[in-house]
Amino acid sequence: MRRRAFIRLLPLAALAMPAGVQATIYLSVEQAQSAMFPRQKLIPAFRQLQPTEIAAIKRASGVAPLSKQLQAWRAQDGGWFIVDRVVGKHEFITYAVALNRDGAVRNVEILEYRETYGGEVRNAAWRQQFVGKRFGGGVRLGKDIKNISGATLSSRHVADGVRRLLATWELLLRNA
Amino acid sequence: MKLRQLLAAAALAIPAAAYADEPLFGFVYTTDLLPKGRTEAEQWVTLREGRASGDFHLVQTRTELSHGVTNDLQLSGYLDFAYANVKNNGPDGTTIPPEVFADYEADPDKRFTKTRLQDVSVEAIYRFSSPYKSPIGAALYFEPSLGPRTRELETKLILQTNFIDDRLVFAFNATLAYEWRKLHADPEAEPGSIEARDHWDKETDVNFGVAGSYRFAPNWSAGAEVQNEREWAGLNPFNADKRINQAWYGGPTIHYGGQKFFATFTTLFQLPLGHDYAEKDNAIDAVIHGFNNADDFESYRFRLKLGYFF
Repeated sequence: MRRRAFIRLLPLAALAMPAGVQATIYLSVEQAQSAMFPRQKLIPAFRQLQPTEIAAIKRASGVAPLSKQLQAWRAQDGGWFIVDRVVGKHEFITYAVALNRDGAVRNVEILEYRETYGGEVRNAAWRQQFVGKRFGGGVRLGKDIKNISGATLSSRHVADGVRRLLATWELLLRNA
Repeated sequence: MKLRQLLAAAALAIPAAAYADEPLFGFVYTTDLLPKGRTEAEQWVTLREGRASGDFHLVQTRTELSHGVTNDLQLSGYLDFAYANVKNNGPDGTTIPPEVFADYEADPDKRFTKTRLQDVSVEAIYRFSSPYKSPIGAALYFEPSLGPRTRELETKLILQTNFIDDRLVFAFNATLAYEWRKLHADPEAEPGSIEARDHWDKETDVNFGVAGSYRFAPNWSAGAEVQNEREWAGLNPFNADKRINQAWYGGPTIHYGGQKFFATFTTLFQLPLGHDYAEKDNAIDAVIHGFNNADDFESYRFRLKLGYFF
């Protein structure tokens, strides 16, 4: 009798078998570089963040870096191209920020997004809100950047990430 | 021009996003809901095992379909089935069916096995504060259920707060549930009493749940849950004379969340903090060594939740 009960449950469990989960890469680093700094040569300027630098970035932006490795490239025109990650619902969201020579945001691109929901952060109109933002100029979701209803976690974390990279430029790259 | 081409190509590559209210916990709810227009199917299996004596096996399944009506309102419908296999499980060594089979007669000396449709339910959860925008997220839960010989109305306050980039999640639930169960006449009841004829037995459950979970690796979270469950005879949970039982449970939970699928598995152990307030009326104390053995409690609970996002 007990065996029969478990047999009854098996079809229900089978209905819930997983579908394949695939990583979604929308832009490679090279594609994003070409799009954000067309016809410019980008020089890698990677560096390991020191504990005091991490603490300073957190103080300045309110957000601690997720990685000690800063993946930054300097453009020929003095701008910067930075690849970074923020926390998504399940996995990391990889994005790139292009900064002008004066530290203003030139563009934001989502490179990898593998989340169940919140993919609206890839919408060009939403990302356009970051263009021209500078360190100290306010990059907070709900105040300076409109929230995407139904994608609040992703939009908040991307906004926090951009604010952190603006602080990183101010503290480490501006005079590099 | 190149940027525009890339944007167009990227826009075409946007997948049909699947959205979820995926549960981090087996028993405690969070305020995460399906976004507007998204649908999800869930299958639960709960195994409730063990009493102080005898055999006690209760399997409950839930097959659920949920839909986001708005970004803050989610509706669900589900079917619950139950299977019981018990013998000599009562505190006095007799066979007593679990609460969901309370309307069945059981020979006190023989094994009782039965499968039934437990109930059909609809559920609404309205979130009035998101933990991603406010320090504390809050939602209200409302669930009427209808079974062959049962009626139930369950309400819940759900609170959630997040830390460390939303990787550390704490949730609190306060549940108030009213239950009506049509019981057969008890031949041993005092003649003329309500128990001496078929009647609607009424019960109030008040449960409190606290849970915490940390996303320790991409897709994976682990944590723990604690449940405090209290029961009253009748429908007034403020009448101390009518309280009948209390039990505590605690245990670990693990969760996997992918793009189209999630799984959550929780194990709860009854903690030796139980109380049988009706013992003075029943002459038999359902609490043995601190563990409550009344009809809705058992030693272990295992729950697996599987979900698929459309």
